[in-house]
Amino acid sequence: MRAALILALVMPASILPASVMSMEPPSDTRQATAQEQPLPKIAPAPGFTLTSQDGAQVSLADLRGKVVAVTFIFTRCSATCPVLTPMMSLVQDRLGRDFGNEIAFASITVDPEHDTPETLKLYAQMHGADVAGWSFLTGSPRTISELTRRYGVLASRNVSGDIEHTFLTSIVDRHGILRVQYLGVRFDPEEFRRDLLSLLREP
Amino acid sequence: MRMNESRRRFLATFGSAGAIGIMGVSTPSAQEAPPETSTIRLFKMPGICIAPQYVAEEMLKSEGFKDIEYFDTGINTYAALMSGKADIGMAFVANFIVHLDAGAPIVLLGGVHTGCYELFGTESVQGIRDLKGKTVAVPELGSAHQLFVSSMMTFVGLDPARDVNFVVYSPAESIELLAERKVDALMGFPPVPQELRERKIGHLIVSSGLDRPWSQYFCCTVGANRDFARRNPVATKRALRAILKAAQFCSAEPERAARLMADKGYRYDFALQTMNEIRYASWRDYAPEDAVRFYALRLREAGMIKSTPNKILTEGTDWRFFDELKRELKG
Repeated sequence: MRAALILALVMPASILPASVMSMEPPSDTRQATAQEQPLPKIAPAPGFTLTSQDGAQVSLADLRGKVVAVTFIFTRCSATCPVLTPMMSLVQDRLGRDFGNEIAFASITVDPEHDTPETLKLYAQMHGADVAGWSFLTGSPRTISELTRRYGVLASRNVSGDIEHTFLTSIVDRHGILRVQYLGVRFDPEEFRRDLLSLLREP
Repeated sequence: MRMNESRRRFLATFGSAGAIGIMGVSTPSAQEAPPETSTIRLFKMPGICIAPQYVAEEMLKSEGFKDIEYFDTGINTYAALMSGKADIGMAFVANFIVHLDAGAPIVLLGGVHTGCYELFGTESVQGIRDLKGKTVAVPELGSAHQLFVSSMMTFVGLDPARDVNFVVYSPAESIELLAERKVDALMGFPPVPQELRERKIGHLIVSSGLDRPWSQYFCCTVGANRDFARRNPVATKRALRAILKAAQFCSAEPERAARLMADKGYRYDFALQTMNEIRYASWRDYAPEDAVRFYALRLREAGMIKSTPNKILTEGTDWRFFDELKRELKG
């Protein structure tokens, strides 16, 4: 609920998907999507080992067995990151008990020089993130640069020194396979949630 | 050793990309292997509307390409694809159809956006039917510009072979001739319409991106050299993905995309206008086979091709990767 409110405040209603503006609880999409085509299998997701908001080492391999949404943010971002993180927070709330136990989020900073674990912890709190299932990760600039490239995210500093990056949210299945990528921030969070849940039904 | 490597590559390709079609594939892809080649060659031409192709450079790197070559072709991009000098690239669907009709070794892979061409005219031309008996400037006979005007004329019942006088001038010359009313109309793609608007020359008659039915069909499509696509199906899919991601980027971040275009020598303000005007994010909303059918019918009516739309579709297209990418890339 809080995430929906933040999202509604930072993003004009005209560009929000209808499912975000509707505060109705979603139906049980595990049943509803039973007949849908399975998500494609793109490739093994690029692995990583990074430092979380709590200073712990988190690797994608540690999350094997869970469905993982991997996205890229930075805490000083004033343009579209304030849309993406609340949208993910909204999905977190709507996933209920599945979140944390079976589904995890990993938000990786593209500004590792600034985004220390402490900074990321504050950012997580500000967005109501449940860190039991949602890691905010940082690492060395070189590691982050290589990882963004491997995921297909463009991140660079412009002439003013500000960071610019493309938005790409990737869903990785329980076996570490990249299954779908959401481009930009205007995707439908309900479709995103359905995709996450659809992978829970797979063996 | 060589045979073992070939077999492994074949199995990797087969396993990752399926069985036999135009590109040697027909079953749904499983997981992708790395691209079969680390080199990819694309063309560079004066038009801004194929911006995703230029913006894709960084995306191509993340797809595993190390050597990404862009080379100038002028407007005749199709020859570069046919000869194998270019591996893949974006261009107007109608020209692809004309070349496929002639047996060109090209395969059409998907669509990117529905329009960037604009027909400008003097006050004597208020609609397409007014082109009868008029003079229209195009940069080359057989160019995309001429094919687009011809398609529009056949759609309203005119015969482009008899009812209009095409004259050949460079885009820069055509602009001046329109200003002096020495030609009645010209067809242009970015940056030509942007310059006409800036200099208040002529007026817009048809915008292919806004006016139906043109706006309902892909204009710029992605084609590949057939041999390249056959030998390198994984690389082909990865390159197509990079271009489609870049199209999304042009839509989502027009200023940044325009800056990348400016770095490649295009005018920033014209590039920014183009990013804002062309519906680059609409590639999921249209079916490329509809565009092939639509334009093939127009071109056949004009006597410019002999093949039926079905023949072009069967022999010159393979949408499998495009269909897969529609499912893999959301947003």
